[in-house]
Amino acid sequence: MSIRVFVVDDHRLFLAGVRAELGERFDLVGEAVDVDEATEAITRLAPEVALVDVHMPGGGGTAVVRAVAASRPEVKFLALSVSDAAEDVIAMIRAGARGYVTKSIGPDDLAEAVRRVHAGDAVFSPRLAGFVLDAFAAATPADLDPDLDRLTDREREVLRQIARGYAYKQVARRLGISVKTVESHVSAVLRKLQLSNRHELTRWATERRII
Amino acid sequence: MASSRAPQARRLPAALARLGLPRRAAEGAVSGVAAGVAYRLGIPADVARAGFITLAFAGGVGLAAYGLTWLLSRPAAADEPPRALAPAQRAGLALGFLGLLLVLRELGVWFGDQVVWPVGFVAFGVAAMWSRRPAGRQDLFAQISGGHGGPTAARLAVGALLIVGGVALFLSSVDVLAGLGQVMLAALIGGAGLAMVFGPWVWRLAADLGRERRERIRSEERAAMAAHLHDSVLQTLSLIQRSADPREMVVLARGQERALRAWLFGGEPAGGGRLRAALQAAAARVEADHRVPVEVVATGDDPEVDESLQALIQAAGEAITNAAKHSGASAVSVYAEAAEGRVEVWVSDQGTGFDPATVAPDRRGIAESIIARLRRVGGRAEVTSEPGEGTEVRLSLGGGS
Repeated sequence: MSIRVFVVDDHRLFLAGVRAELGERFDLVGEAVDVDEATEAITRLAPEVALVDVHMPGGGGTAVVRAVAASRPEVKFLALSVSDAAEDVIAMIRAGARGYVTKSIGPDDLAEAVRRVHAGDAVFSPRLAGFVLDAFAAATPADLDPDLDRLTDREREVLRQIARGYAYKQVARRLGISVKTVESHVSAVLRKLQLSNRHELTRWATERRII
Repeated sequence: MASSRAPQARRLPAALARLGLPRRAAEGAVSGVAAGVAYRLGIPADVARAGFITLAFAGGVGLAAYGLTWLLSRPAAADEPPRALAPAQRAGLALGFLGLLLVLRELGVWFGDQVVWPVGFVAFGVAAMWSRRPAGRQDLFAQISGGHGGPTAARLAVGALLIVGGVALFLSSVDVLAGLGQVMLAALIGGAGLAMVFGPWVWRLAADLGRERRERIRSEERAAMAAHLHDSVLQTLSLIQRSADPREMVVLARGQERALRAWLFGGEPAGGGRLRAALQAAAARVEADHRVPVEVVATGDDPEVDESLQALIQAAGEAITNAAKHSGASAVSVYAEAAEGRVEVWVSDQGTGFDPATVAPDRRGIAESIIARLRRVGGRAEVTSEPGEGTEVRLSLGGGS
């Protein structure tokens, strides 16, 4: 029973590439090249995982994630981008995507990311880990919830390892913890990223357009 | 009246600040008072110290003056080179000081001729022999040869004369030796003989020390240049040797020529500026040269690239090149963290790795380009690797790395 995957990207060349890479490992149920088409098809087909390009005409990936989330909360989104812009990536995560990978990711890593998102875990690329470390770096204001607005030391350490390019398995070995623990740390960070009210998060992401 | 005095008391420090009597703790022997006065007067600090010491024996006036000056002065750092005095001004200053001493003597604020004069002679003699030239831009040679100029021959002679005179004065005044004249003559002749015997040897020793220092500076420069050439020209040459495509060879050679020209004639090539941009540029160079993707992730501050940070970036570039060339990994990760004046950069790959213990010591790559280069600017580099486990190079700078 392979995972049902939907791919949204406005570059047909990239769609063809993903089809070739993932076609044998997953059940590719459909593709779309713009926001409206994607929203309609995902709502109708209800795939388990949707790969969504961050930059697209008609509102971008965020619009797709928001539009689908209302009717199909069970669809899990993985953001794909060549973009380095922190604001886009953070916006995508806050809209509800469970992970972010760059398009330069290899086929094996992409397949692994899809499985991980399907299993309910979060997928952080090195770059996203760096963004998140920066976003949570500023001192926590007193009026915010420390449970949501601050990273624990362990979460920070896990993110730093991911930022250095290590996969979850290697992070686990390097820190002497289990892969399951790494996954739960990353999921906790994702939750904080999505639910935190600290406005630095958005402001910071807007201020920093390029890394 | 108390109401009108209070504002005056508050105005007083401001007035003193305008007076501008600085206290230069960094250069001072005790608290920087004498150094500050010397700076103000344009004389060597040791001469001012000698003045204070001499006055201290004139009924303690020197101690009082020192304390008062300390109270009236404010701490200051060296901001501008001290002004230089004309010889006539120096003479005037010296005569003024002498006059002050005579007045004090006349007033009876005086510990006695047999104490004050010898102390004064010896103090000024020592100051003349040891005082350094004020550190300004006027003496380029003194800066090159190691900061401050040493005493000149004339100053040495005057200083020695003053010291000998002071000691003789003291000895004669306390009547230790009645027939001092003959002893002094004997001492003078003996001293001259010693100078003739050991003079050339001392002279040669000083010259040797200077040569050694210049040699060391030159060899450090040579090492820095060798490291740079290893990173750039030698790498490109090895790439050209491995390349079969003539077009690519031309591209490589031209790029290297540009970089080398920029380094030789105009400092570092453009693309520096700040840490992130510089790391990206280094990564881009390796990507272009070795066709291995390099991902750079940076968090925290983005400091301006200074000389030591430049060394760290070059070391990072070397580490990235090594990873791209030798590890066989499909990608190289660079992660930088900068905060509170501390910069750390990790370069990791998940390639074949190696056993650091088996690397030949004459391999310049890691030893010279990475570890020694960072050590030269006070940073640290650690290389962690195991066969089959990839390699991680950690570079750090600042914050007690």
